[in-house]
Parts: sequence; C-alpha cells; structure tokens
Amino acid sequence: MRMRLLVAVAFVGLVAFNSVGCSTNKGAEDAYGGGLGEEGVGGGGSLDARRAGHGADSSGPLKDVTFDYDSSELREDGRLTLRENAAWLQSNTGATVEVEGHCDDRGTVEYNLALGAKRARVVKDYLVALGVADQRLTTISYGEELPLCYDQTESCWQRNRRAHFVVRGE
Amino acid sequence: MRRWESAAIGALLGAFAVIHPAAAQVRGTIFGPGLRNYPIAIAPLAAREGSPADLATKFTDILGRDLTLSGQFRIVDREAHIEEAEPYTADAINFPNWSVIGALALVKGWYSLSGDTLSVEVRLFDVYQRRQIVGKRYNGGVGDLRRMAHRFADEIMAQLTGERGPFDSRIAFLSARGKGFKELYVMSLDGGDTKQLTNHRTINLSPAWSNDVRSLLYTSYRRRPALFSIDLTSSREKPIWQKAGVNVGGCYSPDGSMIALAVENDGNTDIVLLRPDGQLIRRLTDSYGQDLSPTWSPDGTQIAFTSDRSGRPQIYVVGVGGGEVQRVTSSGNENTSATWSPDGKRIAYVGRAGGTLNIFTTDPEGADVRQLTQSSGKNEEPSWSPDSRYIVFSSTRTGRQKLFVVDAATGASQVQLTVGDGDDSSPAWSRWLQ
Repeated sequence: MRMRLLVAVAFVGLVAFNSVGCSTNKGAEDAYGGGLGEEGVGGGGSLDARRAGHGADSSGPLKDVTFDYDSSELREDGRLTLRENAAWLQSNTGATVEVEGHCDDRGTVEYNLALGAKRARVVKDYLVALGVADQRLTTISYGEELPLCYDQTESCWQRNRRAHFVVRGE
Repeated sequence: MRRWESAAIGALLGAFAVIHPAAAQVRGTIFGPGLRNYPIAIAPLAAREGSPADLATKFTDILGRDLTLSGQFRIVDREAHIEEAEPYTADAINFPNWSVIGALALVKGWYSLSGDTLSVEVRLFDVYQRRQIVGKRYNGGVGDLRRMAHRFADEIMAQLTGERGPFDSRIAFLSARGKGFKELYVMSLDGGDTKQLTNHRTINLSPAWSNDVRSLLYTSYRRRPALFSIDLTSSREKPIWQKAGVNVGGCYSPDGSMIALAVENDGNTDIVLLRPDGQLIRRLTDSYGQDLSPTWSPDGTQIAFTSDRSGRPQIYVVGVGGGEVQRVTSSGNENTSATWSPDGKRIAYVGRAGGTLNIFTTDPEGADVRQLTQSSGKNEEPSWSPDSRYIVFSSTRTGRQKLFVVDAATGASQVQLTVGDGDDSSPAWSRWLQ
C-alpha cells in the first residue's frame, strides 16, 4: 500500500517535469484532423524515473476538486475551490496547469477514463469562464489508474473522485 | 521459434491423419448437458530412438490439463493404468485394459527427439469400438512441444464434441506482478509460455490482438496516452494514434483493414475508425454521451459499444457504415465492456448486479440475457475464446484481481487461471495460432 502511494506521489510529481514545453495550440486544434498526432512520443515513459515529492492532494498551490459518484458536475464546494484556484492563477500569470481527471474504481477502466476526461474538461471550462486564459490549461484523464487510496469505503472513493492540478512554470 | 521451425510446423502441424481415418459417427459424442466428465485415459508417449524420457509425460501433462480445463473431460488416473505406452496402434492395443478402468477414449503415441528436431505422433482411440478416431503427426523443434499438445487437445475436442477446442491460442493481459505497474504479458491458457512484453513503468491499458496473433494494439501513457502496436517477437512498437486526449479500446476489424478506437474530443469520447497505420477514416459515433469500448461483429459489418447517451451506460450497436444506433441492453442501469463472440451469436458484457460487476451475455438483439457470474468480487473485462465456448475475465473474488475462465453457455466451471502477486487484468484472447 505504501509503495503504491509513493508511486502515485512520484508519478504526480513527474508530470511536472516531463510536460515543460508541451504546449497544445488549443485554438487551432481539430481533434480529428489528419489522424496522426502533432507531438512526438519520446522514449521517456517512466513514471518513476521522475522524482518529485509532489503532494498527492494539497501540497501544491491549487486544491483538488471532488465529485459525486459517476458525475462530472461541479458541486458548490468545487466551484468555491475553483474560484480560489483561479485567483491564484490570476496572481501567478506565468504558471500553466495540467488538470487531471480521476475516478474511484467502481466502474470499468475505460468508462472511468472517459469520466475522468469529462471531469477535467468541466474544471477547465469553469476556470476559463472565471477568466483564466485557455492556453494556460491542458487536461488529461487517468481514470481509476492513480488512486490515492485503495479502501472500499465511501471516504476513500470520494478522495479518488477528483480533479487534480499540476502547476508548471511558476 | 526460429523461422525454419515455424515453417515446419506450419507445413506439417496437424498435417495428416495416420492410418485408418475416423468413422463419422464418433463425432459429437459429448453432446448435451450432463455429459461433461467424459472419461479419457492419456498414456505417456513412447520414446523412440533413444530420445530423452522426460518428454513422455510433459506432452501428456499439458494435454491432460487442457482437457480438464475444458470442463468436458475427466482424465483417468494414471495410477490406474494397466497397459503402458506401447503398443499404440489399434490392432495391437488391448482395449479391455482401458475399458476396465473406465476409459471411453484413449490417447497414445510416440515421440522422437534428435538434436533439436522433435516429432510427435499421437492417436485418439474409441475404447468401446476399439478403433482409432484420429491420428496426427507434428514436427518441429523441442520448443514447439507445448503447441503440439495444445493442437492435439483442440483436435480431441473437435473429434469428440464436434467443435475445435481453444487451446492453441494466446491470452494477452496486463499484470502488476512485477513492480507495481500494469505491464503487458502474453500466456497460453494454462499459464505456460508466459512472456512479459513491456517494461515501460507507466500506465498501460486495453490490449487487443491482431488477427494474425503477431502483434497487439494497446494504449500506453508516455507523456500522454497514445495507441501503439507492439510486435510480439521483437517487442518493437509503432505509434498509431497520438492525439491529445483519451484514446482507449483500439481493436482491429475482423479483416484487419480498420481499427475502431474511442477518442476524446474536448471532454467527450466518441468512436472513430482508423486505417491500420492510424490515418483517420471517419468518426463513427457522435453523441452528447460518452461512446466507448467498441467491439466488432465477426462479419465486420457492425460495432457494439458502450454509450451513456440515455443517461446511464448501456450497450448499443451501429452499422460500420454509420446509420441508426440500436440499443441492445434493456435491463440494469450500468452495462459496459461489450465483446462480440467469434461465432457472432452472443455479446458478452459487464453489468452491475448484486452490488458489484458481473459478466453477462446476450444475443445481439438484446434477448436471452444470461448472467454468468454471481461472485461478490468485481467481475469484468470479458474476452471470448476463439471457439466461442469460453470467456476469460478478471475477478477480484479472491482478494486480488486475477484472471478466470468460464463456460460461456452456462456460467459453469469458473476456473482461476493466474495466481501469485500483483493484479492481473484486461485479458484478450487471441484467434488460433497459425
């Protein structure tokens, strides 16, 4: 259990290192044009090669937003958190953020990937509506693949149903 | 295996029936419910020409395990055997030696290993009719022994049940048995020939076989998730789809000309069709809901998939050319992970029932729904055997996530396939090896 948490922590940290310079021109992006991606895929696929003690849920400047089961709707507490996160981003204009969507493990792997993507997207859209520039935000879904905890309890499941923010380039 | 070996196997595997071909009425002996413990005796093979003795039981052990796994046979206890490996021809075997210990069918044969060249000749006999049903000779290298045994198990099932068995095939799956990451593995159903294919130390998902069983599609998170094809022999990869966003569940059409894949467009997931090199052909679904987990009908004309367009995830079917989307599942409020049987008659899927996930099958119109598992664990990720008799799936019923196999018609014989540390998931059962 501890090993997996370390892995999860290390992974979350490494995204910060490995995504520098990885900008996506969202405005011009047509998701289905051409079929082949605009980014090369390097050999560096190692999650654990990237080390950073990035806190799993709250040691960065932006707090996690949590969701109800099988939902990507923002609750009032989520909107409050996002207003705080947006304020931070408005004061730290050099920062870009990757919004991660996560799920608890009760659905199937593929369904949770899609749900995580929706959660990340909903959060990004809300931040943009609050005035954060679109180009500063990217999204990625990890579905149920990077849980914070493994207990089959509602409190653990709730922790896992989250959008998490990885800040880069402050 | 080396090229000349595979050519030899390709040319000669199952090549010719040896003497006295079977009379037709023996086929289909094990039909019907209740006849699921057909007693078969497997004698050790006779070693020819100074061949090493240990191969004698290796072949028959693998054969016996396959037939037991099939749920159709009972292997007569070796301790009970009166007669030895020889004689092995119908005119010389003393069949009463076998009927008296309860065997209805009998396997005997010989093998010869000279250098690295292995020849195995095995015969299946009907004990009461006192005659040979079928005989096969296999030639290859010593590394082909397991495949020879699996081929003959499939042949025995073909002769005695009317349908070829599934054992000369492969199961790809993800396992965290190594160092905590789910890496890609391949094994045969009995767990032999297990090979680790990847060591990426990242998130790997959803393996799916090529039709020639030489490569796999899968999604792997490098900097971002991307769809790759990986060659089994060399482990070399090429990227197929690298656009930002979710991409998962890539699978080849039955003729290999297309890949169906669920991809994300601004938070919404749809199914697209690609050429095998990754060029987009067209988007197949376009709904407000999430559309994912495509599976092809075996005639290549339809795709079944999961969609939550009605509010909750259900299984739908659409023609590959587009057009009307038909809903398949009508009971339960969470139905996902459809997979179409190779014979086209059933769709297996995962439904939430009894407070957990369980494996179901339905006909493609949504009628004749059968629940195959009732376990308290999560049962998911079904994949059909090439003969459409069995479904491999993952289950957490023992505490860890492990692979199980179940009889697809009845839900009987749920057998655990993988053991040990780490979670095993996402099994994909290949076609028969060539």
